[in-house]
Amino acid sequence: MKKEITKYYPLIPVFAAYLLLFLIGRNISGMWQLVAMLLFYCALGQAFNIFLGMTGYVDFGYVAFMGIGTYGMALAITKLAHIEGLGIGIIIIGFILALLMSTLLSVAVGAVALRLRGAYFAIATIGVNEGFRFLIEGARIWNGSEGLIFTAQLNEILGREAASSLMTYWADIMVLIIAALAAFVTLYYMRSKIGYALTALREDEDAAKVMGINVTKYKIIAFITSACFAGLVGATSWALKTPYVFPPEVFEIHYTIEAIIIVLLGGAGTLLGPVAGGLIYGISKYYLAIFMPGFQLLIFAPIIIIIIVLFPEGVVGMLKYRLKDSALARFII
Amino acid sequence: MPLLKLENVTKRFGGLTAVNHVSLEIDHGEFIGIVGPNGSGKTTLFNVISGVYFPEEGSVIFDDLDITLLPPYKRAPLGIGRTFQIPRPFGSASVRENIAVGAMFGTLSGKVSVDESLQIADQTIERVRLQEHRDKPAGTLTPVEKKLMEIARALAMKPKLLLMDEAMAGMHPNDIDQMVAFIKQIAVEEKIAIVSMVEHIMRAVVGMAEKVIVLHQGSKIVDAPTKEALEDPKVVEVYLGHPPEE
Ligand SMILES: Nc1ncnc2c1ncn2[C@@H]1O[C@H](COP(=O)(O)OP(=O)(O)OP(=O)(O)O)[C@@H](O)[C@H]1O
Ligand SMILES: [Mg+2]
Repeated sequence: MKKEITKYYPLIPVFAAYLLLFLIGRNISGMWQLVAMLLFYCALGQAFNIFLGMTGYVDFGYVAFMGIGTYGMALAITKLAHIEGLGIGIIIIGFILALLMSTLLSVAVGAVALRLRGAYFAIATIGVNEGFRFLIEGARIWNGSEGLIFTAQLNEILGREAASSLMTYWADIMVLIIAALAAFVTLYYMRSKIGYALTALREDEDAAKVMGINVTKYKIIAFITSACFAGLVGATSWALKTPYVFPPEVFEIHYTIEAIIIVLLGGAGTLLGPVAGGLIYGISKYYLAIFMPGFQLLIFAPIIIIIIVLFPEGVVGMLKYRLKDSALARFII
Repeated sequence: MPLLKLENVTKRFGGLTAVNHVSLEIDHGEFIGIVGPNGSGKTTLFNVISGVYFPEEGSVIFDDLDITLLPPYKRAPLGIGRTFQIPRPFGSASVRENIAVGAMFGTLSGKVSVDESLQIADQTIERVRLQEHRDKPAGTLTPVEKKLMEIARALAMKPKLLLMDEAMAGMHPNDIDQMVAFIKQIAVEEKIAIVSMVEHIMRAVVGMAEKVIVLHQGSKIVDAPTKEALEDPKVVEVYLGHPPEE
């Protein structure tokens, strides 16, 4: 039993970081906006890490799962708003729909693209988000390019005050919970056969097969899990925080790139990495935009490149190596 | 009933026939040496047996089951373990975790838990004497240590057939003798059939083998008990490039 608990020690620094963020946001005035942004980046990194970090496969279409999750929540709210007495239940339905839709999309994409190896997979996924956007706009699905706006419905269902505190506060708390949940699932996978299989296939897919690992099965598990968390992040950060959805905004490849940077900065396949990556990325982006508006990318890009060159295993990868013989080793993975 | 039976197996790469109509049989617990110069098709033959490639012709029968087109991950649990000519460790994982993977996925029941696998890994590590490297990332081992680790990883699968591709290459002659003795012991104790591939007629390896198969340009040219095989004029020709002098 004791052993079971020690297995989950590495969650301590992750949860501590989230708690600290929360406390800073609550207690220092004017900080909540930054904290909310950092939570979003940490959650995004934590979600993407389950696929990118654990399998080593790069999915350039990843943002599509966030987009589809955003639509899941948006559809639940717009279509069910007329039902009396749903109250907060409508948000739960929204989450379920977001999960369902991101699962379906990931199964569809995975079934085709995961047959491809390495770079071919990456190339095949490049068009997924754009393709989906054009499908929605072209076929006028879910109100096409006009998108869905549901501020009025939220106000109506929850009341103006509750809706406003949902957008400015509770949605961010939900992002925090999603990030923590993703961290928990990551560690659970790492400690189970799934993690061993993913490490093996990431390092050498052919050798993994010959060792008896059904690599396709494990890649799909990681892909769907990661997509589901992306869907939840979209449903929260994008639908609940800002109650509207436009196809060009939620299928923007820019977010996939940010997620890749966060995972690599922090340390692909590590548990704490996405937190470190999310914080470094978010904080630098935020302050560069304030102090050097207009020049942030010029400074930002080299910083990221330098960090990645200096620490190819990411910040946490490096820490893990430095601390491997110390008492801290079992907290940092 | 032989453990493994190849019938007329042919594997081509474009116009090149890497394995040419090879038939052979391997019995339970047998120690076989497969010898052949560079490019004679040894590794390809292993790849056909372990499922990395499917042959264009012929069939592969293992334990009475036709596995010719079975995906590799389904073959390992039936009892086919292998090592690689160029070691292929899961580099970032520790030696212990690498070996545990063998136990976790490579056994037939498929129900070996993570903890049990780690225990099996620890036992296997002791058998191959890699204790001091147990927690190192496998990628940091020396080539010889990597080969040992691969043997351990395959043994943790509790195989019936162990395919070793140049497992002794690069080792010191003393280590080779030890290694061969160790493998021979495993073969006897656990009734594992061992197929050891070597490029040259390595005294140590071939000396231990009950049977020697010689490949030349993809074809099997000799398949006989060791002593007979080594005296075969075709073998001398392959290695010396001319027929033995009268
Ligand atoms: N994937 C492949 N694609 C194309 N040709 C291949 C492939 N694998 C092997 N070959 C060719 O098949 C032939 C047999 O190669 P194989 O590796 O089986 O020989 P080998 O006996 O193991 O040689 P070595 O002693 O060098 O390991 C060689 O001519 C090789 O170039
Ligand atoms: Mg070879």
